[in-house]
Amino acid sequence: MASVDLPLPRVGRATDLAPQPIRVVLNWGRRYSLWVFNFGLACCAIEFIAASMARHDFIRLGVIPFAPGPRQADLMVVSGTVTDKMAPAVRRLYDQMPEPKYVISFGACSNSGGPYWDSYSVTKGVDTILPVDVYVPGCPPRPEALLQGILKLQEKIAAETLSTKGIRGKYAAHRTASAGEVTRGLVQPPARPVAGERA
Amino acid sequence: MSDAVPVQRREVAPSAWAAEAEAARAEGFTFFDWLTAVDQADAVDAPGLDVVCHLLDASTPKSLRRMLIRTRVPEGDALASITGVFRGAAWHERETHEMFGLGFEGFDDGTGRGLRPLLLPDGFEGTPLRKSFVLAARASKQWPGAKEPGESEHSKPTGRRRVSAPGVPDAEWGPR
Repeated sequence: MASVDLPLPRVGRATDLAPQPIRVVLNWGRRYSLWVFNFGLACCAIEFIAASMARHDFIRLGVIPFAPGPRQADLMVVSGTVTDKMAPAVRRLYDQMPEPKYVISFGACSNSGGPYWDSYSVTKGVDTILPVDVYVPGCPPRPEALLQGILKLQEKIAAETLSTKGIRGKYAAHRTASAGEVTRGLVQPPARPVAGERA
Repeated sequence: MSDAVPVQRREVAPSAWAAEAEAARAEGFTFFDWLTAVDQADAVDAPGLDVVCHLLDASTPKSLRRMLIRTRVPEGDALASITGVFRGAAWHERETHEMFGLGFEGFDDGTGRGLRPLLLPDGFEGTPLRKSFVLAARASKQWPGAKEPGESEHSKPTGRRRVSAPGVPDAEWGPR
């Protein structure tokens, strides 16, 4: 598979120089269509799933479950214990997301390491490897807490002004890899044994 | 698993370890469940590592039998591998090797690459499940939690003795 390099992000000149009413409309469009990508690593993921289901139903806030993959996602929710072994994979999937992108750190473990702070293998907070927009405290937090975190994030999106320079400064400047580098070729199936011969 | 299932316990010498596993398999304990170690470096008599192996006999429906085989390996010694008896023990022996630094002689998982790390991230140094392993996070940064009276910044210090768990860096690591 040929690797396609994701170009540096830019927003059209219209957004940069748009008058306030237009910017409100553009931000309104972005804040209510957050395709979410769940990085479920532990029990917090269960609460996240509960928040996505009929009772709490975060799709009424415009959070759309679930993006087919990080390349289609706007929002990543890291729910659960990030270990040092898993951290490169979290970073890799974050790098695959297109800008502008947002991260919610859900639960004590991904906020700070939580009860596993002392552990030899647990990362002391997902914010040590990628920028986090909203922290949701709790162990695990209730689904309502995630809804509150989403509302906070939407307030933040509504207040922001996107410009090409700003978006590159915030996200692309510390990309650790380009999209081409985090693409992997197709995996070849193992060679089949010759008929009549047992492996 | 409830204790209603009878457990047989056997203590063997390290030299008889692989032979005992083979004998147990011949007795019908054909299901290898797990293998791990316990750090007994501070034991008064014969300090070392306890290696424990759990086997099951599930051949008769509704009458499960369990078997725990245990041996005490002296510090620095290697143990005979039981991958020749149960091939599934390879992952468990690799994990025990990286977590406790215990060597397994004759380890063979079919790849010919020997004992190598299984779960720890690349470049990890040390054997984290040993009691001598220091949890270095506390040496560089104060623990954000407080579970003892007087430990939190909002309460007055008490005269209670501080409880220190194995692995917490002591005073010679510097002030915190």
